Amino acid sequence: MLTGYSKVLILGCGTCVTVCMAGGEKEVGILASTLRLANRKEGRSVAIDEATIERQCDREFFDTVRDRISNADAVLSMACGVGVQFLAEVFPDTIVLPGLDTKFYGATVGQGVWAERCSGCGSCVIADFGGICPVTRCSKGLLNGPCGGSQNGKCEVDPKGTDCGWQLIYDRMKKLGQLSKLETVTPLKDWSTTRFGGPGTIVKEDALP
Amino acid sequence: MRARSAAARITVLLCENSAWKASAELPADSALRGVDFVKIPCSGRVDAGLLLSLLEHGSAGVLAVGCPKDDCTFLRGNYRAEKRVSATRAILREAGLDEGLVRLSFVSAMDAHRLRESVLDFKRYLDDNSSS
Amino acid sequence: MSTLTLESLKAGSRLEKILARGEFSVTAELGPPKSADTSLIAAKAKLLAGNIDAANITDNQTAIVRMSSIGAGLLAMREGIEPIIQITCRDRNRIAIQSDVLGAFALGVRNILCLTGDHQKFGNHPTSKNVFDMDSVQLIQMLACMRDQKKFACGEEIRNSKKAPVVEPRILIGGAENPFGDPLEFRAIRVAKKVAAGVDFIQTQCIYDMDRFEEFMRLVRARGLHEKVKILAGVTPLKSAGMAKYMRDSVAGLTVPDSIIQRLEKAADKAAEGIRICIEQIEKLREIPGVAGVHIMAIEWEEKVAEIVKGAGLLPRPQVE
Repeated sequence: MLTGYSKVLILGCGTCVTVCMAGGEKEVGILASTLRLANRKEGRSVAIDEATIERQCDREFFDTVRDRISNADAVLSMACGVGVQFLAEVFPDTIVLPGLDTKFYGATVGQGVWAERCSGCGSCVIADFGGICPVTRCSKGLLNGPCGGSQNGKCEVDPKGTDCGWQLIYDRMKKLGQLSKLETVTPLKDWSTTRFGGPGTIVKEDALP
Repeated sequence: MRARSAAARITVLLCENSAWKASAELPADSALRGVDFVKIPCSGRVDAGLLLSLLEHGSAGVLAVGCPKDDCTFLRGNYRAEKRVSATRAILREAGLDEGLVRLSFVSAMDAHRLRESVLDFKRYLDDNSSS
Repeated sequence: MSTLTLESLKAGSRLEKILARGEFSVTAELGPPKSADTSLIAAKAKLLAGNIDAANITDNQTAIVRMSSIGAGLLAMREGIEPIIQITCRDRNRIAIQSDVLGAFALGVRNILCLTGDHQKFGNHPTSKNVFDMDSVQLIQMLACMRDQKKFACGEEIRNSKKAPVVEPRILIGGAENPFGDPLEFRAIRVAKKVAAGVDFIQTQCIYDMDRFEEFMRLVRARGLHEKVKILAGVTPLKSAGMAKYMRDSVAGLTVPDSIIQRLEKAADKAAEGIRICIEQIEKLREIPGVAGVHIMAIEWEEKVAEIVKGAGLLPRPQVE
């Protein structure tokens, strides 16, 4: 991916990816050192610059590194997929490359462990399922689960790691005395508010300039 | 196999609670020439960023030395060091570099002999595997 | 709410008539071929014809690509088998499924079994994308809406134009349930949801643990569900102790009691013992109130279905006009 570029800026993001130890200042440093060592070994002459800004999903924060971005042949963004694209949008003449494989947007469930919690479907159903999202937590996104693959609280897709989202829903609703709510058939979901309805845009009228 | 250039020095990071004290007992020794001993507060201070940056800035190799397992002043610092050194080795491997350039060992404050053996063993490894 | 009567048939299939008459029904499984070769269907159909009331035609079972269930079902019909077309939610959205249901009905299909579908991870295209636009309960509801309200899921009437007649697919709607999946208490609730959604019959996962199945049926009867839906208990004959252990250890949601494994281990003729066990199971299942039939899933062992049905005293199969 970096072949052919002689001046590369590795640009970290100081918000979410810093918290989840994937693309913050520290990870930028590690990647930069590794690339320099590898380049040295292979006898490649590549100038690796490194910087980390507060956020890559807001235009203002790019101001401090504008010159360094312009100087680079390519910018390897360590932000999530949103930051990478927004960087490319703000700098239309710069070659922008992704430094991470953005997998999901989740919570820190324990030290060093992150897990997916929301799919951003645009019409929240959590109220009906005891505070647990079946769209995200069930491997099949079933709204009338669980399927036959729920065993000992685990999902058959990954019996060692992944909890059965529907077992979680069942247990929690039982605890909350809301089990009877689960007896109603949840009708077909309107997926048009999700990405399947096209890329989402939100406009908050009172926040417009 | 070629000899390391005289300029490339080995960095040894010593936990001040054990290995650093042991290093005070090391006799003057020509075999240890070219080795920089650096005091750190705990082997748990070691991480990929520090190790890679030392290599990048000219160390031929970095050896971290912590307290014996289950004898860490900070309880789990040396276990953390173990995980971090192995993560660093994985990064080196992935980048096509020699993972042996970083290493971790454990010695007590009283074990100057073992510290010396450990450093010399690392030095031998680097001499044998040096590519520059 | 769903009760089958001969006076007002919903689909008019042989299976529906037999269930409506209150006769103990027998269904089996016919897996489509993994190629375009049709000879396998004819061979399997020959083994099943006359011994069963209808056969499930699986829909890319365990996410392995096979001939489509509708295509294979039509071929089975030609061989005298009444098909129960399985439809899963894994590979098609509401547009494709409704369209397929119209096509299947037009070609003579009268029974459809609604399934969620195995996750693609278990099949031969694990890197594919799944659909799951809906789940099995919603699929049942959608088919019931098409049949009874004569409307598509979007609410539009099933007709070509405002002046054209309404021609809805009249399908007997099936569902599945795994009495051994967790949580047990919720399994009966799930049957209740399927009944509320409009299911006519339920086929269960194969049963070895009779105690747990009886517990499941107690929960089903406590809700009066056995009067609203025909429950066909699933059985799978075991060929060997090894197969029994495999089912116990590797199939999610299956328990095989040690007593069965021991019987197979001790038997001189394992296969004959497996058939005997299966026949005994069917006899026990017939005694359980609320069990309306048996669904025999003889995995790659279709030639034994006739022997099992005969051994259980279920031959000849009733005739319908």
